[in-house]
Amino acid sequence: MLAVDHIHKEFGSARAVSDVSFEVPDGSTFGLIGPNGAGKTTTMRMTLGILTPDGGTIAWNGQRVDGRMRRRFGYLPEERGLYGKMKVRHQIAFFGRLHGLAGRDVAGQTNLWIERLGLAQYADRPCAELSKGNQQKVQVACAALHRPELLILDEPFAGLDPVNAQNLLEILDDLRAHGTTLVLSSHQMWQLEDLCDRFCIIVGGENRRSGTLAELRAAWPTRVLRVAPGSSAVRGLLDRIDGARFVGSTDGRIEYEIPAATALPQVLRSLVDTDAVTTFEAVEPSLQDIYLRAIDAAA
Amino acid sequence: MIGDFLTVFTAEFGRRIRSRPFQIGVLLGVLGILAFTKLPLLLANAFGEAGSSIVLAGDRELVERAKPLLERDFTVAAVESGARAPALADLKAHGAASWVTLQSDSHGGMRFDMYSSDSQSSTAKSIAGDLTSLNIAVATSLPRQRVHDLLRVPYTVHALSSRFSSSRDATKAWSVSYLLLLVLYMLILINGQLLMASVVEEKTSRIAELLVASISPIPLLYGKIAAAVAAGLIQMVCWILAGVLFGGGGSHAGAASDVPDFSGLLGGSVSALEAIAFVVLFVLGLLQYAMLFAAVGSLINRTEDLGSVSLPIVLPIIAGLLISMSALQMPDSNWAVTASFVPLLSPFVLFARIAMSQIPVWQVALGFAINFATVYFVAMLAGKLYRVGMLLYGRPPSLSQVWNVLRT
Repeated sequence: MLAVDHIHKEFGSARAVSDVSFEVPDGSTFGLIGPNGAGKTTTMRMTLGILTPDGGTIAWNGQRVDGRMRRRFGYLPEERGLYGKMKVRHQIAFFGRLHGLAGRDVAGQTNLWIERLGLAQYADRPCAELSKGNQQKVQVACAALHRPELLILDEPFAGLDPVNAQNLLEILDDLRAHGTTLVLSSHQMWQLEDLCDRFCIIVGGENRRSGTLAELRAAWPTRVLRVAPGSSAVRGLLDRIDGARFVGSTDGRIEYEIPAATALPQVLRSLVDTDAVTTFEAVEPSLQDIYLRAIDAAA
Repeated sequence: MIGDFLTVFTAEFGRRIRSRPFQIGVLLGVLGILAFTKLPLLLANAFGEAGSSIVLAGDRELVERAKPLLERDFTVAAVESGARAPALADLKAHGAASWVTLQSDSHGGMRFDMYSSDSQSSTAKSIAGDLTSLNIAVATSLPRQRVHDLLRVPYTVHALSSRFSSSRDATKAWSVSYLLLLVLYMLILINGQLLMASVVEEKTSRIAELLVASISPIPLLYGKIAAAVAAGLIQMVCWILAGVLFGGGGSHAGAASDVPDFSGLLGGSVSALEAIAFVVLFVLGLLQYAMLFAAVGSLINRTEDLGSVSLPIVLPIIAGLLISMSALQMPDSNWAVTASFVPLLSPFVLFARIAMSQIPVWQVALGFAINFATVYFVAMLAGKLYRVGMLLYGRPPSLSQVWNVLRT
């Protein structure tokens, strides 16, 4: 398990990360979310042992993370980089060796990842000659070749077309199935919502929300209630709920924001008694809603 | 740590050896040494042959006496009677470059007129030099051999501190040391700057973050530096082999006595200890400068800045070369002795002194100790800067920020 405990980091007078804590269980996928400059990359760098926290601790399976442990981790940074003149095969093998693979393992894993990522026809070409998407595949191979215990991916889907994004999703699923713990950041909330088990929202270097999606939703103060028909009788009943607020209407349906603690079965019973209700839907907040609210609260 | 170092070393060394700048550098170096050692001789021979054939004419007695003197440096193609001015066709008819007419002058001596297809003042000067003893003999009626002997003041040089038994040996050693110092200068400069370019390339291509996420920056830095040193050693071997193969032209230069003599590379002028000292000082010097180049390179983000930030490191290299050149002439001067103990200058100056003087053992030991200590000190500073610099993007750090990093 990755345990990040009250870490903070300053660069000169600038505070990059302040009192951030979260835990990532083994084999799970963790989403680190936040706007640009929120401190996500600094948190990732500290987790990898590239930067040392000014305070707090980061532990992997009970051991404090340090520079020696980084060989067991994998990292795909936001800013991609490759040796342009080095051939694809040599590049992947080089990073395999840096992560401790040796002898036949290097060649075997290199060939395996080249095949897996559909890079066979480019294997003996310099990386600079590849398209951006294919370069990204090479970088994924460099980061995951050694079957890391913990793989940290900073914006892994940026620059990928839908087909390659799907391909990457499958690779991440496979890695997780083989026991790799994943920590990733992305601005594509819908992708994270599908992919991650737990989340941490960082704003201004501070931890705003963290937990599973269910826990984040549980902490959300309201729900959106979608009802049809939007007759005056129905609206009159909904208006009488404490804290309810009319949001709008579309296609004969009306939407109300109601307190999360409202007893929905009772509301439904009352509505059915009032009119011939054809639609009654309580909409859970999406990760995007939770994220935007967290940013608004911080502003 | 060792595994990481070897992985980086192997990859970096392979990249360096396969890189176009390295291969071009080796080739240009070999061609440069070829030109440096052979060109003066070729030019001298070419000009010498063109101007070496002459026709003698004029006063018969003077011509008879002058002919053996001139035949030391020239081929006398023909002897003509009379003192007429020849035409160009006359020169061509004899295949000669010059027509020299000898005559008695009004003061009892002699004079000559030279008619040449190309007005080579050096040929006339050479003829005048060859005929000086004859001129005095004619004017004073002394035997020419007596005049010849009088013109040569006998002397012996008794060197009190030099390690060379003759001035010829000293000149030979100077030539070889001069060449080796140039090789040292070029190798340190080229390999240091190539390393710096490699570090900047890793930063600009953003692969640096991936590298330091995989291994500690220290084996990364030292692996790269070791690869630069190994590549430099290969270049050095190629260049010195070129010097050995092409050197030695001066010993049979014939007409070109001013041509540098590099035959000492084959033996005699460079002892085994000097060769070892050269290699060790090359490695120590390259280590010092390579680490500085790499550390400074890690602080910048644009290849356009390479020139400006490398200048402060290039300056001591140039200073080291210039001081070592003067140390070749005066290896025991206070200036040379002091400079041989100054970090960064020492690799150049200490070698010049070792090559040209019998310097005390304690000075050699102190010089090497200072160089080893400099490597250690620079390695620590470079490690600190590199560790921080590799993740530094955006505006380059100010001097005060660099100082803060070095103090931590």
